[in-house]
Amino acid sequence: MNFDVTFALSTVPTITGVMATTMSIAVASCAGAALLGFGLEIVRRMGRLPGFAMRFVIDFVRSTPVLAWLYFLYFVLPFYGIRLSALTVGVLGLSVYYSGYLAEVFKAGIDAIPNGQHEAARAVGLNRADTILFVLAPQMLRNIAAPMGNYFVSVLKATPYLAVIAVPEMLGRAFDIASETYRYAEPLTVAGLLFLMLALVVTYAVKQLEKRLLQAARR
Amino acid sequence: MGILSIWLGILEGFRVTALVTLYGLVFAVPFALVFGVAQYLTRGVAHALVTCVIEFWRSSAVIILLFVFYYALPVIGIDLSAMTVSAMVLGLNAGGYASQAVRAGLQALERGQLEAGLALGLPRSAILLLVELPQALVAMAPTFINHLIQLVKGTALVSLVTLTDMTFRAKEIAQIDYNPVGIYTSLLLAYFVVCYPIAICGRWAQSRIGAGRAATNEL
Repeated sequence: MNFDVTFALSTVPTITGVMATTMSIAVASCAGAALLGFGLEIVRRMGRLPGFAMRFVIDFVRSTPVLAWLYFLYFVLPFYGIRLSALTVGVLGLSVYYSGYLAEVFKAGIDAIPNGQHEAARAVGLNRADTILFVLAPQMLRNIAAPMGNYFVSVLKATPYLAVIAVPEMLGRAFDIASETYRYAEPLTVAGLLFLMLALVVTYAVKQLEKRLLQAARR
Repeated sequence: MGILSIWLGILEGFRVTALVTLYGLVFAVPFALVFGVAQYLTRGVAHALVTCVIEFWRSSAVIILLFVFYYALPVIGIDLSAMTVSAMVLGLNAGGYASQAVRAGLQALERGQLEAGLALGLPRSAILLLVELPQALVAMAPTFINHLIQLVKGTALVSLVTLTDMTFRAKEIAQIDYNPVGIYTSLLLAYFVVCYPIAICGRWAQSRIGAGRAATNEL
């Protein structure tokens, strides 16, 4: 069997057609992971016992493969009568997996704010909510911007895992074509190349955005 | 099926998980050292070529790479076992990430180290091997340990190319016994038991290096 270039090219439109799905999965999962991760980090700061428990949760999530989480959610949720679409389960799985990493990003982002900022805000009479909202949160956001961008790229690179639970993203579509035509090499190679291109473009865009943010922060 | 037999069943897959990790390291360590150093030392066209190779292995999604090499290599006449392909893809992907740590470690060294070596009349190769690399590798040890954890977790992928690792065993058990909660919780725990001790080593290395730096600064 030879590598059929014409056939390979004919699979390009089908696979590029789901690039938007891949991007939406990455955006939704990254947002979910940020929410969960922020929650984990806030609870971790609430005292000794919650701190200890959340530390364990974060370490546990970081020590387990994303594939195992996808299987876990995909098979365990229905067991308890929770029926979600494969896409939702996939986004949930990536969110859980990356929340452990983003919790660490938030931790570093909060720890990097000098203590004096909090004290000064309270000294000039800002209440607790205003201190958090107008003094601490903007500084934390600036601290986490760069690592968040990197993790967005990581999440994007993890989206093809969703093919194992039959979500129609790029790798999933390549397998659909493969099982219809009994030719695996061509659609998978095309998916691989297109995905590499997408990942490189997004990585470049994230770097440019990071530069802009840093410039804006200096001003 | 009791929880004990589920555990024993998943444990049967530990050998393959460990083997893929080990063989993966055989690819990852030389790749990271050679390409990390090459990216540090080369300029111009050679630098661009080295960067391209690293970016290919680093920017692709590892699950897509695995399938592309698993299905496309036989088409162009290269027949490798599933074990070899898995070790190569997972290893070079991890090696691509680790090469950036090698390069960053070398770049972070003070220029005085290189200049002192040159002033002493050491050849460039001796400076690299005896002065720069030892310091860079020690400083980057925690990062390497993190990449090792990513490699171990990445081996869960080989279950998709017919290798009977821990994840594959869990799926096999799930086919004969409807107990998703027990089986997939055990699977997550199994990876936790393997990866968490490595993470602890990483933290220990981090604190040792931190302590070492503090001691040097006091001198």
